[in-house]
Amino acid sequence: MRTLLQFALAFVWLAPAFNASATSPSDTGNLHLHPAWLTLLHYQPDRFGDGYTGQADDEDFFLSAGGKTSPRAELQATLEAISRPGGGNGHARCRFPARDRWLRQQLDMSLQPANCPAFEQWSEELNTETVSLVFAASYLNSPSSMFGHTFLRLDPPKEDEETNLILANTISYAADAAAHDSEILFAYKGIFGGYPGITSIQPYYEKIRLYSDIEHRDLWEYQLNLNQAEVDMMLAHTWEIRERNFDYYFFDENCAYRLLALIDVARPGTDLLAEVSTHAIPSDTVRWVVDRDLVKEVTYRPSSATKVTHAIESLPSEHRTLAAAIANGYVAADAQEVKALTDEERARVLDTTYDYVRYQSEADGWPREHAAPLSHNLLRERSRIRGVDASDGPPEPAIRDDQGHDTFRASLSGGRLGDRNFTELTLRPAYHDVLDPPAGYRSGAQLQFLRLDARLYTDNDELQIEQLTGVEIRSLSPRNQFFSPLSWQVGFGGRRTDTATNRVFTPYLEGGAGGSWQLGSGTQAFAIATADLEIDDDLRRGYDAAPGADLGILHQNSRFSLLGGIKTKAWIVSSQHRQDQAYLEANWHLGRDFSLFGKFSREDHYDRYRSEWQIGLHAYF
Amino acid sequence: MKKLIAGALLMGASTLAFAQPGCGVGAMIWKGQSGIAPHVLAATTNGTFGNQTFGMTTGTLGCQTNQSVQSMAMYMDSNIDKVARDMSRGNGENLDTLAVLLGVDEADRDSFRKVLQDNFATIFPSSDTTSGEAVDAIVALLESDQALSKYVAA
Repeated sequence: MRTLLQFALAFVWLAPAFNASATSPSDTGNLHLHPAWLTLLHYQPDRFGDGYTGQADDEDFFLSAGGKTSPRAELQATLEAISRPGGGNGHARCRFPARDRWLRQQLDMSLQPANCPAFEQWSEELNTETVSLVFAASYLNSPSSMFGHTFLRLDPPKEDEETNLILANTISYAADAAAHDSEILFAYKGIFGGYPGITSIQPYYEKIRLYSDIEHRDLWEYQLNLNQAEVDMMLAHTWEIRERNFDYYFFDENCAYRLLALIDVARPGTDLLAEVSTHAIPSDTVRWVVDRDLVKEVTYRPSSATKVTHAIESLPSEHRTLAAAIANGYVAADAQEVKALTDEERARVLDTTYDYVRYQSEADGWPREHAAPLSHNLLRERSRIRGVDASDGPPEPAIRDDQGHDTFRASLSGGRLGDRNFTELTLRPAYHDVLDPPAGYRSGAQLQFLRLDARLYTDNDELQIEQLTGVEIRSLSPRNQFFSPLSWQVGFGGRRTDTATNRVFTPYLEGGAGGSWQLGSGTQAFAIATADLEIDDDLRRGYDAAPGADLGILHQNSRFSLLGGIKTKAWIVSSQHRQDQAYLEANWHLGRDFSLFGKFSREDHYDRYRSEWQIGLHAYF
Repeated sequence: MKKLIAGALLMGASTLAFAQPGCGVGAMIWKGQSGIAPHVLAATTNGTFGNQTFGMTTGTLGCQTNQSVQSMAMYMDSNIDKVARDMSRGNGENLDTLAVLLGVDEADRDSFRKVLQDNFATIFPSSDTTSGEAVDAIVALLESDQALSKYVAA
């Protein structure tokens, strides 16, 4: 229906153009309001008023002096510039080949190709037949990477026997941060603007090195079903924005946003940008692309961390111990116990040990004096085993990252605190907590943004904000013989706190670090040392701080998730009371759109016991 | 086709500090990484830091003139750990990539892989081998092989 409407509108726009004489296409009617033109120039409707503003922050992107705010002036200027005789790299037709192509089609102008040596050489070298959207998933022990990252890969023709995708080129859009900027400045400018966003082209193997090897992120490759004309249009437009500045904003105009615009240009009417409201989470943008039937095929490329974990798990346990001994230097790579194995077994042990040593050197900074000679010995021994291929890598996960639950969550629940009943509404714009359906998310990872819990106490109809979570990050990663990651958590916001006589809303900052151990499939036990800080003038000294501990067990599976444990906090500044709590929380997953949840806690604080329970429903959309 | 790939490869990496590929000692194997962007910020803001880690030092070794060999040298410089790994196993995508860059025909791929695996200790004599030395050793090995010498002819 929408497409039909667009065709109809396009026809209305075109009608005056057909009437104009072929030699003077100056009467362009409302062509400057055509969605394809607005997309090509990255115009967005003004929030106030009925005009348009281009998102490019670079005057070289516009041919008209008023182009940034006037689609009509820009269209007129473009039309005039591309009608000028001549050619060469500086000609408007060569600087803006996508605009040129589109306008000539719309206005029925001569399609005689322009002579643009630089552009032609560039697109010939890129040698692109199809385009893949590549999604870098989140990585181990870094929940803040959960949003993921996306870029485009330009795939060469398939029938070519020399096709090799790791040599393919990629297009990405990223903030061009000056290396000397401090982290705080980096975060500030990322959110509020100030960094130029640059479209860059890099070989895929550089991306693999960065994401797979250094950052340990799995890659998902979504091959798009664009045809050759659409691919050519995308490349022509990439050429136009290649060295142009579009300011980078972390939440909306980010890496994923600009790529959506490129897809919109390639296939007019796709209108992916219409999905973006306040933020464009890369994993959500992948969902939109999948929903629009733009994807032909999906390929999984596990990171080096995923591969080494799988290789270790595939070894029989005595070989696992042997691999750990070799990696730590207790047993030589050519020792008798290694040589006693069959070729096949030896190859597996040596390969796994090598991959593990490389992983530890990257992730944990193992010293080169230990790792390099060991790596060399391992490979030398391995090269003496002939005819045993490397083992198959890890299997593709059954649920892709874009197939997990949607990230916006709304919950309605009822409960009782002490002797007061309440109804609670919770809104959470993003993203995932450890009790949500785990499919498609890293286990033990949690990232919540701007969660609001509002309570209505039914005894006196009092409406209270129970908690406003700014950011909450939690990462529980199990330790074992091979890996010893830190489990940690950090969060800030405002919450109700007990002052013995009242429950007051106070800003808080909390953090913690500790360890986690796997107990079985999907189950881990954790022990975290915590610290809490609350600042409020209702507290006796204006603030309070508490060292504490949190011991618990987490179980996650596709049907239900459980979290239970005990927490203790010793408030040492104002109240000088200990707060002990036992808690149990459970979610029962009804598909990926709903979960039933229940919570119970019993607390000992100010020498009295108080229970709180709550039952409700989460909806994800 | 071969030229095209080499060209694309050179273009893609042209922003990096490759003065003359195939003409220098290149990166030392297992040198490890440096300059990893702080995880939290790199992830949340998806920025690019100046974290390119290949300092290709200008070297004293002779320069390779064959364009395919230059492409291979450049690829080896940033992927030497993985190339060495695949070489020791006698298969893998990084080994295939070397074959593609050198333009080795499908028919010769098996012997190409075998020569490199058999001579692993010659190509990487120590844990301090640089990518430049490894490239020179590979070129010398292929030159002395009747079927494969044509792929590295200057």
